[in-house]
Amino acid sequence: MMNGSLSQRIYFFTLSCCVLFATILGSVIWSSQTVELAFARDSYAQQVDNQTNSLKQLVISDNIYSSSYSVSHWQSLQKKLTRLLKSSPKLTPSQQTVQNSIKSQNENLKRLFAQITKNKLKNASAAIKVHLKARLMMQLEAIRSDSLQLSSIAHTDIHNTIRHEAFFIISVSGVSIVALLFGSFTLMHIVRKSLDEVKLAFQQNHSGHFQKIHLSHPSEEFDSIVKAFNGMNDKLSETTVSLAVMKKVVEERTQVLEQLSNTDPLTKVANRRALFERASMEFSRAIRSKNKLTLLLLDCDFFKRINDEFGHLFGDELLIHICNICGQEIRDIDFLARYGGEEFIIILPNCDIKGGIETANRIQHSLACHCIAMKDKEICVTLSIGVCMLSEQHKDLEQLINDTDKAMYQAKENGRNRIEVLTPPNFH
Amino acid sequence: MDKKTLHLTVITLVICVGVIVFYVNYQSFWQPQKYLVTIAVSKTPLSTPFYVAKAIDAFDGTCVNVKFDEVIGGQKAFAKVMDGEADFGTSSDSVIAFQSLANKDFVTHGMFVQSDNDVKLITRPSVQITSALKLKGKRIGVTKGTASEYFLSILLALEGLTTEDVQLFHFKPDELVHSFSDNKIDAFVPWEPFAFNSTKLLDKQIKIHDTKSLNTLSFNLVSLIADKELVEKAKCVIEGLTLAIDYIASHPEKAKRIVINELKLSTEFIEWVWPDYIFKLSLNQALILSIKSQAIWAVQTKMTEHNDIPNIENFIDSRAMLQVDPGAVNIPL
Repeated sequence: MMNGSLSQRIYFFTLSCCVLFATILGSVIWSSQTVELAFARDSYAQQVDNQTNSLKQLVISDNIYSSSYSVSHWQSLQKKLTRLLKSSPKLTPSQQTVQNSIKSQNENLKRLFAQITKNKLKNASAAIKVHLKARLMMQLEAIRSDSLQLSSIAHTDIHNTIRHEAFFIISVSGVSIVALLFGSFTLMHIVRKSLDEVKLAFQQNHSGHFQKIHLSHPSEEFDSIVKAFNGMNDKLSETTVSLAVMKKVVEERTQVLEQLSNTDPLTKVANRRALFERASMEFSRAIRSKNKLTLLLLDCDFFKRINDEFGHLFGDELLIHICNICGQEIRDIDFLARYGGEEFIIILPNCDIKGGIETANRIQHSLACHCIAMKDKEICVTLSIGVCMLSEQHKDLEQLINDTDKAMYQAKENGRNRIEVLTPPNFH
Repeated sequence: MDKKTLHLTVITLVICVGVIVFYVNYQSFWQPQKYLVTIAVSKTPLSTPFYVAKAIDAFDGTCVNVKFDEVIGGQKAFAKVMDGEADFGTSSDSVIAFQSLANKDFVTHGMFVQSDNDVKLITRPSVQITSALKLKGKRIGVTKGTASEYFLSILLALEGLTTEDVQLFHFKPDELVHSFSDNKIDAFVPWEPFAFNSTKLLDKQIKIHDTKSLNTLSFNLVSLIADKELVEKAKCVIEGLTLAIDYIASHPEKAKRIVINELKLSTEFIEWVWPDYIFKLSLNQALILSIKSQAIWAVQTKMTEHNDIPNIENFIDSRAMLQVDPGAVNIPL
């Protein structure tokens, strides 16, 4: 019962109410029938009493010893009484005892009357006549007393039945009310408690704590909700975990993509897009903080010729080699990017012309030291490097890059494998 | 089943058991002190309610512990009460009528049985007594001051005779039959079981006359004039008798068996008298009328030396009976 469904509880509850109601109804019907029967018995007793009184009246008013006395009147009354006694309703055992007594008294009455009226007691003295008349009266009185007792028993029965019934109804109703209150409170408590538990679980879910519901009062109906909730919760927690992972993955991917979009696929250094992004950032920063900013533009000398002579693949390898050398020779804060073809730009934040020339020198030197091997042949390349430092004349990044480009062309024009610096009067 | 349910179940069980134990022992919890009472019981089947009450322990639930003092005849029982040897006695209305004339200090608490054929006239078949008229001049044995004497006087009076027209011999009830067989008397008027014993003893030598209804005999519970305590005792005795009488009504065969065993009677005898008996507790006007008419008769027929008819109501005490079964009491107050 405790683990049954709520509807089962309600059915049980309703059924109990019906049974209690039926019990009360049954007992009311039973008691009304009992009372009715008791009334029938009482009425029967009254009739016997009345009939006996008529006979008594007859004995008192008539002289039964008179020679002219007719027994027919008595006999008809006596017959009526006898008939009445035979038509008694169903009696209780104690009433039956009294009824037997009445019947027996009635027989005595008949015999006594027959004895008295036989020969009108012609030999008897007045005394015995009076005595026998007294006995006749006594016999009638005995019947009357018995009928009164019958009536009294009926009254007691009615009284007792009503009292018992009242007691029964009161006690059954009392028990029912207590049971109903207990049942409804229990039911209410279970529903409220279960609802609270479900509500709490929803709230916790909302705040991201995926907890299973454990009902303190399990019931079929709430169990189904709990099952559905717990199932949903499991899936939700699973999905939510993948979302975090997904975020991480997306971030990683984004990073990779960003890297890809900013990287030159061949040399793995930053591409032109990344270059401009970083360069404008550094440019703005240098303007804002009045720091120095120097750009190097490097161009591989005779790259076209090498390409034609050794093939594109070697050309590609050469470009990668140059990038590696540059990467080794610059600071962490410096930025190397492929500007296009065989041209590279190195951004040198917080660096003046001198520092730029030094870096350019280091790169040329390192490249001279590290030639690239090709079919047992060492091939050495050189770089023409243009250097330009940010000055007040530079209004935007383009101008700075153009000036650096100019410097690089000067290096080309002045014989390659050299470093040219563009100074202020020569700016754009 | 969880812990709470278990607790509830245990508490309910304990309460139920407590209520049952209390209910079962209810009477002993509230049982007032027990009185020891002696009842002089006449050894006749008319005393059946007493024997049955004892056999079914009907007095156990009442305030009395009952001891029986068995005697022969209601007159003897009455004497025991008057002598203070017994608290209560069982006496016929005839005895009460005679004793009321003597103005003895006694009361009647209730009637518990009636028989309309207890006293019988027994004669010799050879004498051919066909009517009371033929008893004239005959030697007749009776027990003085009892229903026996009263009944004979009525029989005679029906034919205009009195006890002076016959030769009256007084015997104790158990001596009557022997006097008859010894031919000391021609007829005798015994009550049961002496009438039945006579048929067993003398069989064809006797004739029992049909006198049913001519005399109604009742047996009553009598005591000395009752104080409050005696009324309380009478109430308890009557309570026991009520149970016994209900038992007789519902289990007549078992009741008969109890009397047969107690009085060492034959089944035949009980079957002989039983139809004449009405076991019923009452205290009504009919009893008063019966006693009164017998008293008047006794005076008129000079069966007693007293001449004044006392107020019979003075010998009736309805207090005990009213407490047990008010419906059974029907006397003018």
